[in-house]
Amino acid sequence: MNAISTAIALLLLTAFTAGPGLAAEKPDGTARAKEILNKVDDMWRGKSSRAILTMKVQTANYTRAMSLEGWSKGKGMSLVRVTYPLKEKGTATLKTGPVIYTYLPKTDKTIRLTSGMMSGSWMGSHLTNDDLVKESRLTEDFTAVVTFEGQRDGAYAMDFSLTPKPDSAVVWGKITMTLHVEGNDYLPVTEVFYDEELKPARTIVFMDIKTFAGRRLPAVMKVTPADKPGEFTELVYQSLDFEIPLDDSFFSISQLRRD
Amino acid sequence: MNIAMFALRNAGRNKLRSAVTVGAMGLAGGIMILYGSLMDGVMTTMIRNVVDMEVGDIQIHRKGYRDDMDFYKSAPDTEGLARKLEAQGFYASPRLFGYGLSAAGSASSGVFLKGIDVGREKMVSKLHNHLLSGSWLDSRDMKGVVIGKKLARTLGVAVGGEIVVVSQAGDGSMANDLYIVRGVLKSVSESMDRSGVIMTDAAFRELMVFPEGAHEITLKRRDQSELLAVAAGRAVAVANGLEVKTWRELRPVIARVFDLWDVSMLFMLVITYSAITLVTFNASLMSVFERIPEFGMMKALGFTPGRVLQLVFAETLTLAVAACVVALAVGLPTAYYSQVYGIDLSHVWPGGSFGGVAFDPVWRSQITLKSTVTPLFFIFVVALLSALYPGVKAALINPVAAMRLR
Amino acid sequence: MIFLLSWRNLARRKRRAFITALTVALGVFLSVTFTALGDYAYTNMINTSAKMGYGHVTVEAEGYNVSPALDKRLNGVSDILSVIRSTDGVESAVPRITGQAMFSTASRSVGGVFMAIDPKAESQSTIAFLGAMAGGEMFGDAKGRGAVVGVKLMEKLNLKRGGKFVYTTTGATGDLVSESARVTGVFKTGVEEVDGSFVILPIGRMRDALGYADDEATMVVTFIKDQRNADATKAVLETSLAGRRLEVLTWSQTQADIAGHVAVDRAVNYIYQFLMGVMIAAGILNTVMMGVLERWREFGVMVAVGFRPSRLSLMVVIESFWLGIMGLVLGVIVTAPWYYYMSRTGIDLSGYMQEGTDVSGVLVDPTLKFRLYRESVVGILAGVFALTALAGLYPAWKAGRTNPVDALKNI
Repeated sequence: MNAISTAIALLLLTAFTAGPGLAAEKPDGTARAKEILNKVDDMWRGKSSRAILTMKVQTANYTRAMSLEGWSKGKGMSLVRVTYPLKEKGTATLKTGPVIYTYLPKTDKTIRLTSGMMSGSWMGSHLTNDDLVKESRLTEDFTAVVTFEGQRDGAYAMDFSLTPKPDSAVVWGKITMTLHVEGNDYLPVTEVFYDEELKPARTIVFMDIKTFAGRRLPAVMKVTPADKPGEFTELVYQSLDFEIPLDDSFFSISQLRRD
Repeated sequence: MNIAMFALRNAGRNKLRSAVTVGAMGLAGGIMILYGSLMDGVMTTMIRNVVDMEVGDIQIHRKGYRDDMDFYKSAPDTEGLARKLEAQGFYASPRLFGYGLSAAGSASSGVFLKGIDVGREKMVSKLHNHLLSGSWLDSRDMKGVVIGKKLARTLGVAVGGEIVVVSQAGDGSMANDLYIVRGVLKSVSESMDRSGVIMTDAAFRELMVFPEGAHEITLKRRDQSELLAVAAGRAVAVANGLEVKTWRELRPVIARVFDLWDVSMLFMLVITYSAITLVTFNASLMSVFERIPEFGMMKALGFTPGRVLQLVFAETLTLAVAACVVALAVGLPTAYYSQVYGIDLSHVWPGGSFGGVAFDPVWRSQITLKSTVTPLFFIFVVALLSALYPGVKAALINPVAAMRLR
Repeated sequence: MIFLLSWRNLARRKRRAFITALTVALGVFLSVTFTALGDYAYTNMINTSAKMGYGHVTVEAEGYNVSPALDKRLNGVSDILSVIRSTDGVESAVPRITGQAMFSTASRSVGGVFMAIDPKAESQSTIAFLGAMAGGEMFGDAKGRGAVVGVKLMEKLNLKRGGKFVYTTTGATGDLVSESARVTGVFKTGVEEVDGSFVILPIGRMRDALGYADDEATMVVTFIKDQRNADATKAVLETSLAGRRLEVLTWSQTQADIAGHVAVDRAVNYIYQFLMGVMIAAGILNTVMMGVLERWREFGVMVAVGFRPSRLSLMVVIESFWLGIMGLVLGVIVTAPWYYYMSRTGIDLSGYMQEGTDVSGVLVDPTLKFRLYRESVVGILAGVFALTALAGLYPAWKAGRTNPVDALKNI
């Protein structure tokens, strides 16, 4: 779940960055951007989380509202389960490393994601199965540069520009990110994904800063496709806990089917 | 004097000669009857395969649906539209389409889902007769599906097996359900063979959360002799802004293939008839020429040139009639056999596709008036034409010169 | 003496002899036309189909043909290649990896088929797509990230030449793997199915992506000089490659649809020619019979003055023989210019055929052309000749039963 984990990952860096110290350093822009992103990755490793969130999807053809419960551990494991509506309760997605499984309670079947399903949307949202698989590859696949830093619209903003490395298997031509620095906290504001011709393809906007488990994070994340005005997918965090004791065995197919 | 009697007796005088002549012409004619009906039959079968299996005579879609097969671009008011079309003299069958994934055991495959109104579909296509194994859908059995031949093999299921179908439903949720394979289809088309899953419309609507609308309405003319274009016009009148297309417009490649077949068959017929012509010409020419001395004698005895000509024609006509009888005797039974039993080429070619249409390895004739009468007609024309030259020569020859030819 | 006699007999009825010879000539003409058209079309179709992916003879991993999957692969490919390349009659052999994949750009994802090749080993005679380029060029580096994409697929993915896309497929261990590629060239075969779902990729890069060893591939595709030798070549290869875990298949096994189409067409052709042959034989029989019957009295006289009836038979047979020869000669004279034209230029039907007409995915060549194998020529000549000779048998037999008394009864 790229968006969720990106959000979480970016948020986590606040715990370990010494705010002023870092702000005082001004080495070469690329190295610093990479450092920040690397910190993100480092932060992500070895940590676990549990989230309860709602997802609202608005497309030209339907409107959906779902409640989800999600767990993650380390870099590669995550489990997301639908808790509402009743019709879909129990539907779950398990990711262990590069493999993704989906459990469908109605037929009691577990389906392994094949290449043919990659483009399919995840739970009918604007996030794709591909987004799930591609999580935490930012530094591997992109070269990051800080393009702007300073006061803007009443906040201390940092703009990042991520260019895909020539051989990376990503479809985006470019990603741009904007963070607001608030004391020790680096809060994401927007993330824009561009296609090969550098036209915006989708935008993620982060809003509504709240405190979760002692950290300040945006509670709302909204994904908007560029070519379909009026459509969006909005994730709202109800609760978020970190460093939950989670066994690796928790992330298994048999776990998928519980509940 | 009765020319006919005379002609008959002359022909009978040299039975062997007559027999050989008649035999040659008759055999040629018989072969043409068989060939003509076989080609007619194969053509009809191919067209029927296209029309009856999937396309129907005419199809109606929401404008733009065929470009991207967008699940949400459906024709509204399905029941109302179907009734209106039926009132216009069509059989109408609404169809629902979707894409998904099916799995059985550890095998999985992308699938093309087709939801049909079982009763209506029977009037519009012959798919229900085209089963390799098992039985067709039953509108009361919401869990039964019929799948394509190659799909069954990929998934490793047979009749009675269970498959799960997964897709994205109309409301965005994950559609999934279990189905039992009721039947497996014979070869229909590449896409149907590899990925076709057919279910009842009720089952589709429930699975895909698609309560209203149809992606395609397939029509068949009640009166098959009505011109396609005319019928299409009547459908447009009722279809209310929806797109109406005939099968020829929907499958231009196949339409062209048929047109090409028609042309090449005509070509073949021309060649073959030329061959018959030569043979027949040869035969009847011989039979007149060798009796020129005889005609000379008759003229010496008082026959007028006109009468000689008449006689020649009468004789030739007699032979032609006999040849026609032989042609029918040879051609009709063989054509009939291949019409009823068909010529089974399946051990040579188990079935593939040509221009995107499944090819039926069993060839059946279709005995039509045209395929029977045309060769006979030819026999007459050629026989008479070939009698013309020697007939005239015989009529005009100097009796003395004629007799000297002996 | 008989030869002279029979020749002079024929000369007495020049017109009739000529018409009969003409009939035989027609038979030759038609037979050559249909056989040559067929031979050209089938060979063309088989060779084109071979270049679409499987070659004339294919060496595959065991069980791949029945259920293709990327975990089935060949080992020791370079060894296999050298064995094949040193086999008689083999023109070329190339390694390939083929499979299904998902192709994605930022705007869309489309499922399709990939064929991973070594561009240095391939040419227009091994891969049809090289001859159907509609822009750009084939990539040069087998380990690079080039790609050649079908024109319809480019449209679906909103791709331009030089544009990047990602392909995802299931690797050797069953996991999903993704790689990126850039479009170096576009092809257009005219067959919509193919143009909308095929991508040519570099084999070295594909090996890395899939987790294959350097010496592994899905299949080794072999092209032979004469497609008719496919079965023989398969037998040879099965022997020379024995002991390894692989299967050797001919095109009729890997491309069953094409094989079926050719078989049916050929069968129809033969049936048709047989029917024509029967018709023509009937005509010849008629003529020769006529000739015998009208000389009944003459035969009677000949037997009366000492000619043995058996020699009469022989004479009739020889007359048929002469007719056959004349017919053949006439046939060759009439057919030769036609053959020359059709085998060099042919008739172009592309105006009549819808572009992209295919048989099971292989483009149908809209040009009618001739090609006659030596065996076919011999076959036709022998056939026509035999027919003529056979047609003369019954009249000859009749002639041999001449009874001079009966024959001379009708003066």
